[in-house]
Amino acid sequence: MPREVIMPALGMAQDSGVIVTWLKSPGDTVAEGDALFEVETDKATMEVEAQAAGFLTRVTAAAGDDVPVGKVIALISDTADAPAPADGEADAAPAEEAAPAELPQGHDVIMPALGMAQDTGLLVGWLKPPGDVVAADDVLFEVETDKSTMEVPAGHDGYVAALLAEAGEEVPVGQAVAIISPEKPDAPVRRRADAKADAKANAKADAKPVAPETEPARPASAAQPRARPAPAPQPARAAGRILASPKARRLALEQGLDLERLVSAGHPQPFHVRDLEALRVMGREQPSPTVSPVARPLRLTAETGGDGLAAFMEWAAAAGDLDEHALLAGFAAASLRSDDAEIVVAVDAFGASRHYRDPDRPRLGASAAEAADGVPHLRLRDLRRARVTSVSMGAEDAPVVTITGTGPGLRLTLECAADQLSADRALALLTDLAGRIEEPLRHLL
Amino acid sequence: MREITLSKAVNEAIAEEMRRDETVFVIGEDVAEAGTPFKVLSGLVEEFGTARVIDTPIAEPGFMGIAVGAAMTGSRPIVDLMFGDFIFLIMDQLCNQAAKTHYMSGGKLNVPLVLRTNLGATRRSAAQHSQSLQALVAHIPGLKVAMPSSAYEAKGLMKTAIRDNNPVVIFEDKLMYQDKAPVPEEDYLIPFGVANVKREGSDITLIGTSSMVQVAEAAAEILAREGISAEVIDPRTIVPLDEAALVASVRKTSRAIVIDEGHQSYGVTSEIASRLNEQAFYHLDAPVLRMGAMDVPVPFSPALEDLTVPTPEAVAVQARRLCAGEMIHAA
Amino acid sequence: MADKAKTNTEDYLRMFSQMVRIRSFEDNANQLYLSAKMPGLTHMYSGEEAVAVGICEALKTTDKITSTHRGHGHCVAKGAEFKQMFCELLGKEEGYCRGKGGSMHIADQSNGNLGANAIVGGSMGIATGAALTAKLQGRDDVTVCFFGDGATAQGLMYEVMNMAALWRLPVIYACENNGYSEYTKTEEIAAGSITARAEAFGIEAFQVDGQDVLAVNKLATELVGRCRGGEGPFFVELMTYRYHGHHVGDINREYYRAKEEETLWKTERDPILRFRGWLVDQGIASEQDLEALQAEIKEDAENAVKYALEAKYPDTSEVDMHVYAA
Repeated sequence: MPREVIMPALGMAQDSGVIVTWLKSPGDTVAEGDALFEVETDKATMEVEAQAAGFLTRVTAAAGDDVPVGKVIALISDTADAPAPADGEADAAPAEEAAPAELPQGHDVIMPALGMAQDTGLLVGWLKPPGDVVAADDVLFEVETDKSTMEVPAGHDGYVAALLAEAGEEVPVGQAVAIISPEKPDAPVRRRADAKADAKANAKADAKPVAPETEPARPASAAQPRARPAPAPQPARAAGRILASPKARRLALEQGLDLERLVSAGHPQPFHVRDLEALRVMGREQPSPTVSPVARPLRLTAETGGDGLAAFMEWAAAAGDLDEHALLAGFAAASLRSDDAEIVVAVDAFGASRHYRDPDRPRLGASAAEAADGVPHLRLRDLRRARVTSVSMGAEDAPVVTITGTGPGLRLTLECAADQLSADRALALLTDLAGRIEEPLRHLL
Repeated sequence: MREITLSKAVNEAIAEEMRRDETVFVIGEDVAEAGTPFKVLSGLVEEFGTARVIDTPIAEPGFMGIAVGAAMTGSRPIVDLMFGDFIFLIMDQLCNQAAKTHYMSGGKLNVPLVLRTNLGATRRSAAQHSQSLQALVAHIPGLKVAMPSSAYEAKGLMKTAIRDNNPVVIFEDKLMYQDKAPVPEEDYLIPFGVANVKREGSDITLIGTSSMVQVAEAAAEILAREGISAEVIDPRTIVPLDEAALVASVRKTSRAIVIDEGHQSYGVTSEIASRLNEQAFYHLDAPVLRMGAMDVPVPFSPALEDLTVPTPEAVAVQARRLCAGEMIHAA
Repeated sequence: MADKAKTNTEDYLRMFSQMVRIRSFEDNANQLYLSAKMPGLTHMYSGEEAVAVGICEALKTTDKITSTHRGHGHCVAKGAEFKQMFCELLGKEEGYCRGKGGSMHIADQSNGNLGANAIVGGSMGIATGAALTAKLQGRDDVTVCFFGDGATAQGLMYEVMNMAALWRLPVIYACENNGYSEYTKTEEIAAGSITARAEAFGIEAFQVDGQDVLAVNKLATELVGRCRGGEGPFFVELMTYRYHGHHVGDINREYYRAKEEETLWKTERDPILRFRGWLVDQGIASEQDLEALQAEIKEDAENAVKYALEAKYPDTSEVDMHVYAA
């Protein structure tokens, strides 16, 4: 029985070896222990010995070839004549191994999506060999899905130029599994689909982003017997996130309590289970932050002429698409702005509410970006066309400016909770906004 | 019930098991006539002779290795390691041999041995005779780790350890050898992996190991005077760990401090705190705190050494902060 | 050749066939590795067969041995079966350790093999402890601790030899001196005499030709008998040679060992060839008989490899089984 000559595993983590040279030729007699060929690994070049006596036959790898470990590269046979190949597999091997070779030109045949929720198809088998002539209607291959096995036609007339997957492989839907060329191909290709997938996976791994380093939290060294002075609880709110214990959050969710209301009420964070009691009490009484004299809500009014605004609106409408609420929101944002931070202004009119992000930023004529719902920095309640002329409705989740008509003029009413705006800022905001509404052109400069 | 010292409890447990099972023997440095430097084994050699209470040269890896081989072939050795710090010397025999033999042999070979050693600082013994190294061995699959908190536990856990078919490491706090506790006259075992609720409470759970159970109990007393109700739990064995009991307690109280005398970093406290975090997260009203020994070699000077270990007062301070809703860590 | 310890034809042929079994096992294990069919790597015992067989043929089933990373020979010599050994090498469920140990951890407690050990010198305590059990429990079992010349550099050896000598334990320390400690010549890692190390503890020490199975067996039989009579411990240095590199992948080794040296040992001092010649000279067996015996063993080994290659892997549910004993 012939003995196989294999590419040996020579290193600790070696996948393949390069054949430097053959020291015996096909047909040569070899004795057990004779050096057969030289292999180069990452470390060194070494000779590989014959494990049996006989004749060297069926040499399938040449000097210079990089051969995977464990692959049969020759036989040591009882006679010098090479036995017939077992099933043609060895003959096909060189073409199979030539995975990186360029693919022939032609039409791609893809793995079709055959089911409702199917990501891949199992290639059952090819019905045409590489190089064969096919007609568009000829069945090219069989696919198995979760439901059944189906025959897939070639789809194009021509020649089978490439088969890009092997029977038994799961191929993603949409991936090319064959190429049909108009001309007879010189060297039809046959290879596995996962050869390609591996290359992709490697490329991905290289592009892996580096995780940013985060500042580790310093543990309280509990063993220190000296008690550190207890720091006063500080209402901290990082980037809009409410600080609450996991249990407090869970209970609030289960009981339908809104932790935002504790924030609005100025309750110190982080919230714990006991703070939920305060929230339950608030559920019965309406929010009235007037409990303390220093925390009184503010209400300011200003009056302006209405002509300037009306004329400006007319002009703007003539210039293009007019969203007068976007314009008003823009005025309000400009009045509120003290830095580059994002400002969201909500405009409530006709029972509807629209949010605008940085409405003072877009150039006139371009529409202001609409923001998602949420708590805005300022609400603008447009009652110019309503019969109400004066309001006193109390603080809401954000400072509110209500615009009402007063015959020829307009009245602006600013209402807010004590912790929303300081008295100085409230005065400045309303003064500035009244000025802009009286002389809108000033806003353009 | 009679009260006996922890030292006497260990001695009784070993003597009873040696009478019950002829394959049990004791091996270690100065275990026979000297009865160990702590006099825990006094009297054993008189009853069982030098063939079963075997004095060795000062060669920890050697007698540990011999015990492993004896255990694999039908003996039940109790290895006496004079100081817990010497675990570093026997690491290969304990962790590469004893711990892995049952697994590597596909369940064919057993290593039923007990390694009894000690832990605990504040005995003015400095850095090489004061360490609490239970986390080191608890990290290795195949070893069981028991940490008795009183004479009662010391006896019951020792007897269970001797009858167990695995390598078991028992850490006794060397400061507790003379502490007395009620111990029944009659035979009893304490099963591994069953925690003991030492004191019930509703506001915070204090989980302590070994002598830290007493620290937790003393802290609970302080807190009780302030109206804070602390539950104290002793896991008794850290491998296996009675996770269910610890989680159940923390789900009830919403707060926990884990106290162990090993170094705080990468230690027993970290492991237990992580499990509570994983399994009781939505029941926590405060972060779970770890209180271990400071991450310094144990210093000699009393003025420094006493700073390094958790005390009842320090536990009470942290418990108060958790119950007051203070943020312990920056969010 | 030395005087006979084993004295009848059956015993001689058994020793011969045990040595051939070890060689066949290793040839197949080497092929499994080179053809990438075996996970991990392995260390070949080929060339040292007379050591394991000469000693183990002097032991009863209940006597214990501890083995090394180069342990297949000890395992076969102590009575293990090819199928379970190859299954273990390939990580299969039917392996001696259900695939959890592999080449470097085969244990076969039914034949008294307490296991190979992948820590050099790591089993010296275990062997000494097994001898302690035998003494404490009044059994006449003897333990043989196999280790290489490289392990004589480990401190554990001196600690346990000291105690074994103090307590007169029935243990034989068998140092297989194959001339190399991994990739380094023994004379570069061992100062002074190896037997003198044991003699310092008052342990009787011997040096013997490890390529002469009859000499090894004669000495082992004598020392095992004296151990049973309470005269242990003993120390034996067996001068031998490993045909392969430190492990199967160590092919390019001329930087530490000349090919000529290897050829000399393989042709002039091979334990199997020498014993075979002696058997024929003495008229104990014919060339044809021995040829047939060798062919039969070779076939056995190849069948066992085939069986193991097709055997099933352990179920994934076994991954956390056997961490703790019940």
